[in-house]
Amino acid sequence: MASNIKYPEDQVLYFIRGDQLGLITTYSSSGETRTSRKAYQAIDHAVTDGLLIHYYGNPKRVTAITDTPDVDNLFHSSIVDYVKRCLYMDKAGRSGDPGAAQSSMALAATHDKKFNDTIKRFGSRKREKTGGTRAVVPANFT
Amino acid sequence: MSHSIHTLTVKQIISRVRQAFPNAPEAYIMSLINDATNEMGEYSQKSISAKVTLAADQMFYNIGDSATDSSSERMGINKIYRVDIMDNEGDYIQIPRVLDGEPLMFDITSESAGIKDPGD
Repeated sequence: MASNIKYPEDQVLYFIRGDQLGLITTYSSSGETRTSRKAYQAIDHAVTDGLLIHYYGNPKRVTAITDTPDVDNLFHSSIVDYVKRCLYMDKAGRSGDPGAAQSSMALAATHDKKFNDTIKRFGSRKREKTGGTRAVVPANFT
Repeated sequence: MSHSIHTLTVKQIISRVRQAFPNAPEAYIMSLINDATNEMGEYSQKSISAKVTLAADQMFYNIGDSATDSSSERMGINKIYRVDIMDNEGDYIQIPRVLDGEPLMFDITSESAGIKDPGD
């Protein structure tokens, strides 16, 4: 099942509706001339591996204690902060002593701040892989 | 030149957590680790690509949590930033996105099939 479409960049378009990706095309395998009202239809033939999607996705989940989290190693220590934050919040909820609950909440807030700073505030700077000086190529007007 | 890189395994994370919570259950910590990586997925922008087989006359393709690629692997899509279609020579060519997504003709069959999916 190969593709018949010679110029996908001119003949196929995509759009996103919630949890669905829509593909529409003006191409017809049978050479049919489409009117403007029905110009865009689904692709009329099957293509094995015909669609290649590039996306930002969810990391794989861990299932065994020997697994390594599927995120950049710069963020591994932040996972410890996230887990401790949750456990301190649990502890505060369980505690019958208001003082102990308060100190647990304070520690939860400390770990929460560390996690948020690393992932949200400075995350883009940490994961940026571009380095070095920039070279600008001037436009050639000739 | 290769060199070793410091990473943390789940076991090492559990060990660090147990410095403060010696009795925390392993399964619960693992569940929280997965929560953490899910949340990081929103920000750390893990870039992935996947191939999907096109069906004849099908307009809509599922990109929800249950969506799988042509190897039956779950894709886990958060944000799509580029889509390519295979041309007649077997090369992938980038296609443009329509902003409004409202073509006059609709393939109601594949659209309804996607809407009914309760796992998404």
